[in-house]
Amino acid sequence: MSEPLLVLDNIRKNYGAIEALKGISFSIDKGEVVALLGDNGAGKSTLVKIIAGGLEPTSGRMLFEGKEFRARSPAEAKDAGIETVYQDLSLCTNVDVVANFFMGREITRKFLGIPVLDERAMEREVAEALANAGTRIPSLRTNVEHLSGGQRQAIELNRFVHWGGKLVLLDEPFAALGVEQTRRGLEMIRHVANQGIGVVIITHIMQQAFQVADRIVVIRQGVVAGDVATSQTSPDAVINMITGEAVAGAGPVG
Amino acid sequence: MNPRTRRLLEIVLDNLVWFMLIFVLAIFSAFVPNFFQLGIFANIIEASSVLGVMSIGLALVIITGNMDLSVESVAALAAMSVGVLFCSAGIGIGVTLHPEWLMVPASLAIALVVGGLIGAINGFFIVKVKMNAFIITLASYIWVRGLVVAVSGGRSAQDLAPSIRWFGIQRVLGIPLTAWIAIACFVVFSLIMAKTPFGRHLKMIGGNEQATFRAGIRVTRNLLIAFILAGAIAGMAGWLLTIRTSGATANLGVGLLFNAFAAVVIGGISLKGGVGSLPGVYAGVLLLSSINTAINLMGLPANFTQVIHGLLVLAAVLLDTLKQSIRHKLA
Repeated sequence: MSEPLLVLDNIRKNYGAIEALKGISFSIDKGEVVALLGDNGAGKSTLVKIIAGGLEPTSGRMLFEGKEFRARSPAEAKDAGIETVYQDLSLCTNVDVVANFFMGREITRKFLGIPVLDERAMEREVAEALANAGTRIPSLRTNVEHLSGGQRQAIELNRFVHWGGKLVLLDEPFAALGVEQTRRGLEMIRHVANQGIGVVIITHIMQQAFQVADRIVVIRQGVVAGDVATSQTSPDAVINMITGEAVAGAGPVG
Repeated sequence: MNPRTRRLLEIVLDNLVWFMLIFVLAIFSAFVPNFFQLGIFANIIEASSVLGVMSIGLALVIITGNMDLSVESVAALAAMSVGVLFCSAGIGIGVTLHPEWLMVPASLAIALVVGGLIGAINGFFIVKVKMNAFIITLASYIWVRGLVVAVSGGRSAQDLAPSIRWFGIQRVLGIPLTAWIAIACFVVFSLIMAKTPFGRHLKMIGGNEQATFRAGIRVTRNLLIAFILAGAIAGMAGWLLTIRTSGATANLGVGLLFNAFAAVVIGGISLKGGVGSLPGVYAGVLLLSSINTAINLMGLPANFTQVIHGLLVLAAVLLDTLKQSIRHKLA
């Protein structure tokens, strides 16, 4: 096995006297899907934000593709190839689907040396990406505020599939999706992972974790309470890790 | 509803203020004696140049979901700086440059730099220190005006250098150059907002700042530029003001802020940020200017203008609410 894609080494995050993360260590391989589980307030979202550049860790080390890595802003994480889908607030509802899809990476043409938005090229690419994913949205030029919750989340999911990168972080991506869309979303994740992209997915739904993940990492009270291959554990064992009742098969406690 | 009527309705909603402008002009032309003349229309455009330019800067900042109450005072400070340097009477020290035309770009540059500097100070406190935009720019509104009064000692500068003054007199196609400058500003900034990534980012920041930050857009930098631009544009408005009045007084431009606000709101820009476009703002400015002109022509006491402007802002906000509910039904 080659080197892991991302290694977290003893990541800590303090908010004043409160220790949100008390030394998290685990790693993600290329093409691997890791489900991050844990109760509310366990520190999952904090961890994702640290990897994605939204927060800085108090201490600890990250290795990305074998090199020391610390993103000071989401822009830096993106440049390194880390895409993030948050559970909330990641679309600008006041602009259209195309603008959201390309947020921050607009295709431009130079006109007298000034970058000008190339709307046609962008619209073409979005139409193609959505068609490939089987997502139907009536008009790409409607503002996102007029779209349903499911359609909005579909845009976000398609966005990460399209941009890919090297590592994708998904923070409860299916919260607003119906059964059929969730199934398609899970397929998208497998599809992305098959291209060699690492995926970290936070979810509350055990069934989803077992459907899609190669490995399950449980975080409890700011530490890794379990790190096991999906094939070697069971939903009941994982629930016990989340709640803190140690059972056989829970893997090493870190 | 079939797609075509729907699209038509969308176009009408998006450009409502232009339809209002045409409607109001038609009414005035029909009922106000002597209104329907080319000279009157040229006058309306001329009278809206200073307010128009100032409204652009204000609109830029409001679109990002922020606020700039200081534009009026910044314009006054820029006007006073130009006035003191290039006027020959009053407190003016009458600087002359050779060749004389050089004074035009020099005075404009000074106005832009003074404005941009105040904008940068506002931007620093709001964006970097993360203080409330309303309070910071309210403070600037007060201290910058205070600076104008202090620098001038309450006196005025008169007799602007003729080579700069030339702009205020020169006409192209019956419209003064100063108005053309305002129109050019609207065209340039409308294009920036609609066609460049920078403009697109400003609008998206106004819609959802956190999302744009997460998407890797440099929000802090963009907002800082927006504040500096608003200041510089206000400086330009001050420059135009000096040219129009051929000098500068300590209370120059008092009350313009509220007119600029009215124009921006009437022009369809939402104070919540993220909604609206600059051509609409120009229509809003023209609308206000038309109403002023009509009031003058009808010989009504000027005191009523303020009442009418206030009612107009109220009507604009009501209309905005109405527009939103229609849009919801369309979706």
